Amino acid sequence: MPSPKKLCWLDWLILTILVGIIGYVALRIGGTLNYEWRWELIPDYIIRYREDREEWFANLLLQGLFATIRISIYASVLALVLGTILGIARCADNLTVRLLARTYLEILRNIPPVVIIFIFFFFLSQQLIDAMNLNAWSRDIARSDAAPVWEFFFGDMRRFTSLISGVIVLAMFEAAFVGEIVRAGIQSVPKGQREAARAIGMSPGQEMRYIVMPQALRKVVPPMANQFISLIKDSSIISLISVQELTYKTVELVASTRMIFEAWITTAAFYFILCFGLSMLFRRFEKS
Amino acid sequence: MSTTRRKIMSNALGMAFAALTSTILTLPAVAQNATQALSSESVIETIKKEGVIRIGLSIFSPWSMRDINGELIGFELDVGRALAKDMGVDVEFLPTAWDGIIPQLMSGNFDVIISGMSITPARNLTVNFSNPYAYSGLTVLANTAMTAGFALKDYNSADVTFAARRGATPATVIATLFPEATLLLFDEDGAATQEVLNGNAHATMGAEPTPSIEARRYADTLSVPFDQTFLATGEGFALRKGDPDALNFFNNWIAVRHANGWLKERNDYWFKGNDWESQVTQ
Repeated sequence: MPSPKKLCWLDWLILTILVGIIGYVALRIGGTLNYEWRWELIPDYIIRYREDREEWFANLLLQGLFATIRISIYASVLALVLGTILGIARCADNLTVRLLARTYLEILRNIPPVVIIFIFFFFLSQQLIDAMNLNAWSRDIARSDAAPVWEFFFGDMRRFTSLISGVIVLAMFEAAFVGEIVRAGIQSVPKGQREAARAIGMSPGQEMRYIVMPQALRKVVPPMANQFISLIKDSSIISLISVQELTYKTVELVASTRMIFEAWITTAAFYFILCFGLSMLFRRFEKS
Repeated sequence: MSTTRRKIMSNALGMAFAALTSTILTLPAVAQNATQALSSESVIETIKKEGVIRIGLSIFSPWSMRDINGELIGFELDVGRALAKDMGVDVEFLPTAWDGIIPQLMSGNFDVIISGMSITPARNLTVNFSNPYAYSGLTVLANTAMTAGFALKDYNSADVTFAARRGATPATVIATLFPEATLLLFDEDGAATQEVLNGNAHATMGAEPTPSIEARRYADTLSVPFDQTFLATGEGFALRKGDPDALNFFNNWIAVRHANGWLKERNDYWFKGNDWESQVTQ
């Protein structure tokens, strides 16, 4: 079916009705919402010039955005590793391995993310951090001369453990979905390919590595990119365990200044620009 | 958590061992070992050893808030810094979501909570509290039009709706003072005030000077109808149970700072005056 690029009368009608509804809602809000807008204060909380130090610095919201980007990158790398293992385990010949992977997946898929995050945080990542004595280690770095280099990658080193637990929790949660994507990719490789691999005498390991995975991975790139974008959005949940990312910083800003709507709208815009920008970028990659 | 728990375990084991062997060994020696173990495991020793005290707090103006440069300021910050200075250690403030602040203390993420936490029996079953270092005076912040002609007892009616932050002192005080009223709970104070502004709730309660600031900002809609403040039970430092040394240290630190008037002076600066307002909202 041809899709015309020109607007016809129906398009105009729909658009007019839409504008009408939006205008009406805006009017209603303006009438009933008793709120003193202070948009002029927001730019200062993104980036601000400090007179006392004579330098520009990233304030709360931008700090939060950087933290969100860092966490998303680390968590997606970890989720990719864990998810690939999970995906392969889901297609394993061994029954126990298959059942375990399935159990993990079903548990994560059927519990709300908030609950999972709390459970993972207090019972898992906390233990891991205590066991590795990360607290003392990161504090030593924060006090040392090498701090700026580390801070570029991990933010404030004094909050390193909180960042790490956020990354671990998020990655374990997203790994379940990455695992499903990988499994779908593996199963989409025609059976004939695997039979052929075995016929020429490849071991199961070789078969996976040289025949199945290269084809499967190519197929899973688009859904994986989507999963990455949804990970960025899900990262807002870890504000509940006080990881200092964008959502948490916004909560702090609202609690300090009472600019409820300005702060949240700005944060929404940040998330949108980040996720929509990436989605456009991935689309371009897919085409080329 | 594991280290704490291990310590508690070893403590319990040690005590059981002490009970078993007390018939054989002389009692005084055992008692001495037990006290030594107890004091060496105190959080005070950990703080001294690591050279840093980690203080958990939740953003809650004017107790603690972010200034225009994104840095932490407020009453708690003054208290925390003075405490660290007296102990001769660095201070690290860990802003935490209010809902998770006690679990994070229990799991050892920080050494003490200094976050305007009111001493309540329910909380006291989980954590230990120091003596109060502040007494917040709560006042009612009401929607002027909706509460026109209301006396204090009129607020205690099923037709009246209050808004407050979940799990915070005002919510408890409202439930005690006005048991008949409906209580709407929100995650933070701003949302509760907004509900009063929008006419969805009659009133909220808060620690001064926040209600007065809000009433000035929205003079047409909001007012503080009573001069009277409603006292909560007082706010204390919260720390993990089973640590008599730390409790003793914090209690005496607070007693000294009360006696020389420092706590009152800081309290007046943050809660009575508004000199600090320019640092937050410009």
